[in-house]
This record gives sequence, C-alpha cells and structure tokens, in this order.
Amino acid sequence: MSDPAISATGTKKVTCREKGRFESDTVDYTASPLLDVRELKKHFPVRTKDLFRPARDFVRAVDGVSFFINPGETLALVGESGSGKSTTARLILRLLEPTAGEILFEGRSLGRLGPEMMRQARKQMQMIFQDPYASLNPRLTVEEIIAEPLQIFHVGSPVERSRKVSRLLDIVGLASRHAKRYPHEFSGGQRQRIGIARALALNPKLIIGDEPVSALDVSIQAQVLNLLKDLQEEFGLTYLFIAHDLSVVEFVSDRVAVMYLGIIVEMADKETLFRHPLHPYTQALLSAVPVPDPDCRRERIILPGDIPSPVNPPAGCRFHPRCQVCREVCRREAPVFREVKPGHYVACHIRGQGSEARGRKEEVGDGGQETVDGGGT
Amino acid sequence: MKKPVLEITGLQTHFFSDDEVVRAVDGVDIRIEEGQTLGLVGESGCGKSVTSLSVMGLLGDTGGKVVAGSVFFKGKDLLRLSDKEMRRLRGHEMSMIFQEPMTSLNPTLRIGEQIAEGIRLHLALDKKKARSRVLETLKAVGIPRAEGIMREYPYQLSGGMRQRVMIAMAMSCEPDLLIADEPTTALDVTIQAQILDLMRKLKEKKETAIMFITHDLGVVADMCDRVVVMYAGQVMEEADARELFANPGHPYTRGLLGSLPKLLSGQKRLGVIPGNVPVFKQVPSGCRFAGRCSYQTEKCLREVPPLLKAGDRHLARCWQTFGLAGVEAGTADKAGLQ
Repeated sequence: MSDPAISATGTKKVTCREKGRFESDTVDYTASPLLDVRELKKHFPVRTKDLFRPARDFVRAVDGVSFFINPGETLALVGESGSGKSTTARLILRLLEPTAGEILFEGRSLGRLGPEMMRQARKQMQMIFQDPYASLNPRLTVEEIIAEPLQIFHVGSPVERSRKVSRLLDIVGLASRHAKRYPHEFSGGQRQRIGIARALALNPKLIIGDEPVSALDVSIQAQVLNLLKDLQEEFGLTYLFIAHDLSVVEFVSDRVAVMYLGIIVEMADKETLFRHPLHPYTQALLSAVPVPDPDCRRERIILPGDIPSPVNPPAGCRFHPRCQVCREVCRREAPVFREVKPGHYVACHIRGQGSEARGRKEEVGDGGQETVDGGGT
Repeated sequence: MKKPVLEITGLQTHFFSDDEVVRAVDGVDIRIEEGQTLGLVGESGCGKSVTSLSVMGLLGDTGGKVVAGSVFFKGKDLLRLSDKEMRRLRGHEMSMIFQEPMTSLNPTLRIGEQIAEGIRLHLALDKKKARSRVLETLKAVGIPRAEGIMREYPYQLSGGMRQRVMIAMAMSCEPDLLIADEPTTALDVTIQAQILDLMRKLKEKKETAIMFITHDLGVVADMCDRVVVMYAGQVMEEADARELFANPGHPYTRGLLGSLPKLLSGQKRLGVIPGNVPVFKQVPSGCRFAGRCSYQTEKCLREVPPLLKAGDRHLARCWQTFGLAGVEAGTADKAGLQ
C-alpha cells in the first residue's frame, strides 16, 4: 500500500487548474519575488506598573527582518522559541500591525491596503497552524470547516462548494465520507490534513505553515511532509515554512533563514546553509540536532546560557554572550546583515569575512539596529 | 551479565471506563541493568508513559490499574508494596523527570524549599545540612548563581533552567533508577543539547540506571545503550542501540527509521508507514502492526507473534524476522539505515 495522499493527488491533477487559479490577476511573477519583506519590525509595549504612564520598555519581537520568497519556492524560517518567527508570520498576514517596515506581495505594499483590499489580498495567503486540535472549530463538521473560507468570500453556489470540499478532501488524502464528521473523530495527522484542505480552499499562492508538523508523531509527520511537497509541485504553491526542527527544514525547504532574537542572522540556499554554515549560531544549531545513528560521533557545540530577553537584547551582536568566537567588536557594534557570496547572507563580524571586503559595512543606526542591503536583489 | 536494577515481567495495565477496557500496556517485559540507559521508544499512545507510571505507582486516579505482571526493583516487587513503602522509595531510590517542568514543579514553593523537601524526608537531614545539599546538587546540574536561584520561584526560570531544577531534584538523593519521560521534548534544540550533555555526565559519574522515554530516535541514538520499541501496548523490538539502528528487525522499527528526515541525506521523499495507530478498542487479533505492514502474511493476521530472536541480544515480535534480514530492503528502508 502506498501513501494515500499520493494516489489521491495523482488522479486529481486537473481539479484546481481547470478553474483557472490565477483568474483575477495577470501579474508576471517570473520577474519578481512573490513576497518581499523589508526591514520588518514589531515592538510590543511592556505594561508598566503605573497605569497612567505609557510603556517605556518594548519587547523587540521582530527587529528589522528582510527576506524574499520567489514564486514556487519554499523559504524556511528557523529559530528557537522567542526568536520572532511566528510574529513574522502574523505580520505578513497583517494579523498584527507592524511597527515599521514594508511587506510587498506581488509588488504591492500590504501596509497601504485598506481593510477591504487587505481582505481580498488574504485570499492569496493562507496559514496552516501548529496545533491541529486547537485550530479547528470543534462544533463544525469537516465540510463546514473547509467551506467556511469559500462562504466568507462568496465563492460558488452551495452545491459547487460542497463539490469543491469533496475534491479538497480527496486532494489531502481523506475520503468524502469524512465530510460530515467532527474534528474530534480524527487523529492528529488527519486533522492536520483538514487544516491543509481549508488552507487550499481559496487557491492561495502563498501558504504560511507555522510549525505545521511539530505536533505530529514521526510516521504521521512523514505523511504530512510528503503531502505538502506533492501539493507544492501540483499547484505551484509558495511556502513560508516556520519550524524549529532542522532535519524537517532541510527536507522541505529551498532556502533557509535562521532567526535569533528578532533578527535574521543567516540566510542561504539549503545546500549552502547546511553544508557550509557561517554564523556561529547556525553552526551550534546544526551540531545540536540529534542524529539517529549511534556511531555518528560529531563534535557538538554546546551553547552556554539561554536566549536573552528580547526586551533588552544584548548590545552589539545579539548573539555575543553565547558566542564562541566573540571578539571586542561584537560587544560594541551590531554586525551588518550582508551578502558574503551570491545568495548567502550573514550577520557576523568574524565569519564570512574571508575574501570579502569589509568596506561594505554601513553606519550602525540608533539602538543597535542593523542595516540590510535590500533583501530583494 | 550485570545485575538488573529493574525487571518488569508481563506487565499489563488496563484502563476501565463504563463499558470498555483499554489495554494500554499489554504484556510488557523490560529489564534495565545497573548503570544502563534504556530507551523506551514509540509514538503517542503506544503505552510508554503508562509503563513508567505503573512502575512508579503513579497511576493514581487516571483510572488505570495494573492487572497482571510483576515489577522487581532491586529484588522487591513494587506491585506488592504498600503506599507507605512506595513513598519511601519514590524520590529516593528511584525518581522521575517529566516532560513539562513547569507543571511538575510546585509554583508556590521556592526552588530551594522544593528540593530540600525530598532530601529532608528521605535522608533525615536537618535544615542546614539539607540546604548545603541542595546547593551542591544545583551546582552539579550547572545552575549559575545557585544561591540566588534557591530563593526564586519556578515561574522566574526559563524552560531549560526548570528542567535542570527537576533533574537536580530527581538526582538529589542519588537514586539507583531514574525514569526520564520525554525530558527534552519541550525544550529548544540548543537547550536540549545542554540537558542531554548534563544527563550524560551525571550518568557517568553516578552510574545511575536510566529509563529514557522518548519518541525522538535521534535522542535515543545519542543517549541509550539499549532500546525497547513499543507499539500499541506491546514491545515490538528490543536490542542494543547500535544493533537496532544498524539492523532493525521489525518492520515497524524500519518504518520509523525510514520516516525520519535526515540531515544532509538529500532525500526527495520520506518513507511512510501507511495508516494510523490502531484504536485500542479495535486491537487486531493477530500482530498489532499487521494492518500497516508491507510484509504482512496470512499468519500475521491470525496469530500474535512472540518476541523472536533476531540477532545477538536482539528480539523482534515478528514472524518474518528471519526473512527480513535476507530481504533486500526497499528504498525507504535503505534511507532509514543510512
């Protein structure tokens, strides 16, 4: 018996294409990235004890993040808890309003869209959540859950919607007899498939997966990862994949951005990042991944301490208190996030200098923020 | 052969509700020797945690009851001990670390008081001696500014620090057996690396036997000497860690290894175990894994296989074990073996 998802998708090649996935827009995406995030920031005020005094401290959850995603590609955002990856996802969907920065989707700035335009834009971007138990309404049937986005955007007649629902169920490897059941009747992996079907309902271009497989058992995780890859190939989807498990990230992604304390410390294509990581944090992360082979004896870099508080991030390079190659300059100055080789960006004073000229460093802005050479080149 | 610290034989723990019996643990044999780290691996619902709770006598009001079997700990059958006798053992000669350090620490007690509680109870030390013992254990688990931390509450600590406190507490009376139930699952990778490193050092120093419960095969390969793989309440395979990863004898173990994404392997697809774990109410009559197994035969559906010899110190609950060794492994399996 093979993976049910493959056989299901295999026979369904035409379904969503014949409807004309890109009916509303006639943008040429081959030229520009689908999503272009520039200098994105989100600072949350920390409540003071005095009710009448405005907050003086801010949690710098996302503090100047720039990246782009080309159509049809998967960018993984990796980092430990508190690094700002989920906040970044929420900012892109404008579920949170950014403090600063710009998000361009197909060249249009999302920040300037009015509420109705933004609602329409969200049709193109859907999200898959981490916890398949918490993200499905327990009082709705599977059919109602998957049809809800269609209803909200007034897509099709009720009959067409129900036809679409059974098609989507088929695509994600569930049977149409499941449509009348409630979420609690399904296992975790099946629920995640329901969440994926819901995300696909509006034929989006961009899917943001916020730790979509981290709550699943390994054998189920493998099924869902394979399914996500199949769907991408079939529908030309673009993924922003948020995860903390590096082996999963290496499997799904084309490019990887590593986040630490609200900034991206390194970004490169998968091959480069996993084989030739430059940033000491990336190296430590990679060395900490447990490898399922007892004979594999690698040198492990054990980082001292915890992630510092994002309220008062360390001065200079944010990673310096835990860094093994830290020098004087790291305590003083925030490193510039710069391109050291084509497509390979890193924010470190020490690594990646090599043949590179150091002259490209720009003046460090106030509060130790970092300047980024426009991510979209 | 070394002396066993813990010997579980034919353990059956069932959960009773109004009209049904869930056989969460259904005839499990596990033996842990002195100083050994045994990995208990399996997916959610396979009965690994229930096994550990049965050993510790912590089923409480979960509705679960041990209905058969024996659990010998240093020569005593734990299942025959009174509550009072169990209390004397728990936290002293055997202790446990849980997955979520926040919910397993008392939020209203300062760290120092929490750790001292067990020490004073079990070792009959006075307040002052207990205090210095606490300080010592906190330092042993690598907690910086231990004196300050003793006066703090659990909520003031990070996840990694809380888990260190849990470990300090579990190790404070120098137990002979430590049961660690997914101790690093809730932690970030770099913090997980710290905690695993700490556990490895403590284990070498104190020669504590550890039952390491986890779903992460990477952690198993890293930490364990011997591995028991559970599925639907039964032991499916048991072997030394190196043997298990090099030469998995059960199709389920092969499937698990094949479904793992592996760093730098360049996999295009992951191996897949089709279907889902069977619901306990409808446990199949033959082999419990038969429904998802690609090597399934008529016999598998009819008869439950016993644990058969699959190699040196290696058992697998599979009728095909001998056949499997000879079979040229499929691509998914191969990926799992690399």
